[in-house]
Amino acid sequence: MTHLDQHERIAGPAAAEWVLSELEEDQLVEAKITPVPRRRLGRGELVLLWALRVYLIFMMVVVFWQAWTAR
Amino acid sequence: MSVSAQPGGPRSVTTSHEVVVTHEDLDRAYDRARVSAARNRRGFRSRMWLMWLLIGPGILAMLGENDGPSMLSYAATGAKFGVGFFVPFVVLTFAMALVVQEMTVRLGAATHRGHAELIFERFGPFWGWFSMIDLGIGNFLTLITEFIAIRAGLGFFGIPPWAAVLIALAVLYSALLSHRYWTWERVTLAAAAFNLIFIPVALLAHPHWGAVGHALVSWKPLPPVGKDTLLIILSDIGATVTPWMLFFQQSATVDKGLTIKDIHFGRLDTLLGAALAALAALATILATAPLFHHISADNFEAAQFAEALKPFIGRFGAGLFALGMVEAGIVASITISTSSAYAFGEVAQRPHSLNLPMGEGKSFYSVLALCAAAAAAIVLIPGLPLVFVVLVVNVVAVLAMPPALVFLYLLVNDQEIMGEVRSPKWANALAAAVVVLLTAAGILYGVSAVAPNAFAWLGR
Repeated sequence: MTHLDQHERIAGPAAAEWVLSELEEDQLVEAKITPVPRRRLGRGELVLLWALRVYLIFMMVVVFWQAWTAR
Repeated sequence: MSVSAQPGGPRSVTTSHEVVVTHEDLDRAYDRARVSAARNRRGFRSRMWLMWLLIGPGILAMLGENDGPSMLSYAATGAKFGVGFFVPFVVLTFAMALVVQEMTVRLGAATHRGHAELIFERFGPFWGWFSMIDLGIGNFLTLITEFIAIRAGLGFFGIPPWAAVLIALAVLYSALLSHRYWTWERVTLAAAAFNLIFIPVALLAHPHWGAVGHALVSWKPLPPVGKDTLLIILSDIGATVTPWMLFFQQSATVDKGLTIKDIHFGRLDTLLGAALAALAALATILATAPLFHHISADNFEAAQFAEALKPFIGRFGAGLFALGMVEAGIVASITISTSSAYAFGEVAQRPHSLNLPMGEGKSFYSVLALCAAAAAAIVLIPGLPLVFVVLVVNVVAVLAMPPALVFLYLLVNDQEIMGEVRSPKWANALAAAVVVLLTAAGILYGVSAVAPNAFAWLGR
């Protein structure tokens, strides 16, 4: 039996210490409650995202119309 | 470190630093401990064991994307164009998928956050909801097509649609019963391995290997230029790179607990997945290539392909083809519904992990189960235009990829969250090329749809 087997799925204080030794701090469920800080998008990025959004909506209409009439 | 019990439950404990360790953490730590132990050992077998422990998300994303509509797309490619341009083209699409999916591995390992979560938190809910709407529509339409493939595949063996759908749901739900990411991953990997069933089908079709080699090297014979070819190009691209893969692989990487130290193996996992999926895709093209010049395979369903292949590969081969379609549908329904559940949990800030016990992960498992059940139920409603869904699903995936890729590109280049594993220039150049290619393919399709004669000067 390895040292890992001895720790296998043991709940309680010992397990908590062991979990903290095996996982990186930001891997803990609780660490993920803190959101990643917001980032401001630059003007170029916003233009690109809006252009792709318009492209997507337009193309979706084209595809759905095409497929519907081709049924 | 002093540790005290947490009143929240028997499997939760609180350290003196107020760090809560949950059941999910315990399970993940157990998996990580095995990885640490394997990493500390030397020798070839230990390296292989370490690789076995760390592979999973990449193979599942790639083989999961070899789903019902994808295999139908490859089957249509073989039947309509035979062995030629599309053989190397499909290899190229998997290379594109590899470039894109590798970024999700780095992102997940560096941030330990899911894709939806990062977009929402980093760029705000406005852009986050756009991404979620794209993902939600794409995932649900694709899920419907998975059940269409399952129904058609099992229909080949005389199984009625309601029974086919129930069998698929039973497999999907049973994969969740362990409430352990590791077990779920291994069960799904075992199921995904059956995607390679298309290889014996291709061998039964006795492909002309000289023509295959020539096509791989020369990209010839070229297909006629026209809307049909563009649709197949778009459909084959949509069969390999789709938004759900980004969300799934990143979330699965986080759920598995991969860290920056594991990125190398994450890449190997993705490469292996791409290679296996490309093999299965090429095998499907070769399997249906005998239909080239013999029949018109427009809008064929899985069972129709299997029936049409009988004279060429026999009833056994046709049965294998139909089984392959069933497998493709089942594995994809598992991975796609899981990607929806991950994304929902990340955005709604609800627990989202396959390590959650049922009590803690009610919303996660409910979304997963309900998405699949709703898609399955829709397939059973008589008179619905299911062919319409099959027609649009891969094209929709291609169209939704450029916006999704831009978010991915921005995130992997974000020094603040990526640190030392931020994308190098060569990776950015490849990613930009993929975005341009996908957008161009979509625009060309749009032009051909709006102005059908636009390409008349080039040929058919």
